[in-house]
Amino acid sequence: MARVIVVTSGKGGVGKTTTSASVSAGLAARGHKVAVIDFDVGLRNLDLIMGCERRVVYDFVNVVQGEATIKQALIKDKKTPNLYVLAASQTRDKDALTQEGVERVIDELKADGFDFIICDSPAGIEKGAQLALYFADEAIIVTNPEVSSVRDSDRILGILQAKSRRAELGEAVKEHLVLTRYNPARVEAGEMLAMNDVVELLSVDLLGVVPESQDVLQASNAGTPVILQEGTDASEAYKDIVARFLGEEKPQRFLTVEHKSLFRKLFGK
Amino acid sequence: MPQPVSLKGSVLSLSILKVASADIDQVTQALADTTSKAPAFFKGLPIVIELDVTIEDPMFLALLVEFLHQQELVPIGVRTQEKGVIEQANYAGLAVFDPKDKPHVDKALDSAAPVVDAEAKSLPQTAMMVRGAVRSGQQIVAKDRDLVIKGSVNPGAEIIADGHVHVYGAMRGKLFAGSNGNVNARIFVQKFDAELVCIAGFFLLADDIAPAYRGQAVEIYLVDENVRFEILS
Repeated sequence: MARVIVVTSGKGGVGKTTTSASVSAGLAARGHKVAVIDFDVGLRNLDLIMGCERRVVYDFVNVVQGEATIKQALIKDKKTPNLYVLAASQTRDKDALTQEGVERVIDELKADGFDFIICDSPAGIEKGAQLALYFADEAIIVTNPEVSSVRDSDRILGILQAKSRRAELGEAVKEHLVLTRYNPARVEAGEMLAMNDVVELLSVDLLGVVPESQDVLQASNAGTPVILQEGTDASEAYKDIVARFLGEEKPQRFLTVEHKSLFRKLFGK
Repeated sequence: MPQPVSLKGSVLSLSILKVASADIDQVTQALADTTSKAPAFFKGLPIVIELDVTIEDPMFLALLVEFLHQQELVPIGVRTQEKGVIEQANYAGLAVFDPKDKPHVDKALDSAAPVVDAEAKSLPQTAMMVRGAVRSGQQIVAKDRDLVIKGSVNPGAEIIADGHVHVYGAMRGKLFAGSNGNVNARIFVQKFDAELVCIAGFFLLADDIAPAYRGQAVEIYLVDENVRFEILS
């Protein structure tokens, strides 16, 4: 049975699209058939981060409005088998999406045998974000360790519990928390909220912590999901997140400052 | 120097007189019967008139107001949208209230996100129960009853009750008890860190609350219009 997962946050710029790209690629790399949909109509980014921006012929809005079939619009990822991208339209706005149209697209993807349908939500709590979360079975809430981001995530969790289809049917949407841009040194210095504080405030199970890292930006610029940047902390963190999402037990990592010993400082590594 | 006048918004609770008959004699007779039962209670009572029937008589409102004054009631306004009645109200010197302005009580903003026990709903006199976190932007209103929250109230959320409020969790949002004017309403919080506490209209902002109460289990109540805190041991 296909699982529809919304990646959302309320606040912008916290790492929704980065997380959507890496979780999708991670799930696909483990052999699941994954479709990732960019709901950020008018401000599309996912295709850039996935490195398929030159191959967009038809987009999500074309399919919603019946101008193209889902098969025409799905872009097969070149790096990871089983991974398909449905890009957003750059020239339209969020009003071009309709609930019926989105439902049809999701139902067709389910019928096509996709295991996971990842909905990359736009920022905000308006129509675009509400449509992205409406059909979700599960939600990945992306939060930075700072108060405004946590507050916005709290708000979007409330909307998820009130305005999603599952909520209307009286069922719960399963919630997961991903804490991105985590910098243990700044947490120790009291400049950032600690992981425990965020988890306690939001009362949502923690899927994982992604450390603040230059690698994320570099991967985005290179058009590669950061999970594929072997050997980086961010890649390891997202691999853990995918594993925990699939039910595996993994201890949390990247929560403490790595103190370089004098020996290491002197001799490198 | 203090300002000679200042204009402040306030929510008052007023009695509504519902009129279901267009016959002025019938109405005055019924009113006389009612007020005679408890003259002391009705003396000086501010009244807002709401007409449930269409009034033909252009003198109806004037006669009714005259009669209410005789009974020592104080009619102050009419709740209506009908043009004819508004005209009569203007002549009678009554304020006009829009019926649409009724406060939307008992509805959460994002309606009922935390699970409100259906069972508790059907028992009007018991407290309203909410399980799970009340999140930013959500508003829980317990009209005419106490409110029990089993979970945390997050920053930006509001919980409002006409009676007492109990929070078994961290209280980080805004908190209103005795919102219908009940000065005896009390607040019990397991872990206090609220943005604002208000009992019967008397409030304290977070900055005005002694830091010693932060993170503590507290009881909050009114003493002579002052919000008081007590740490629960």
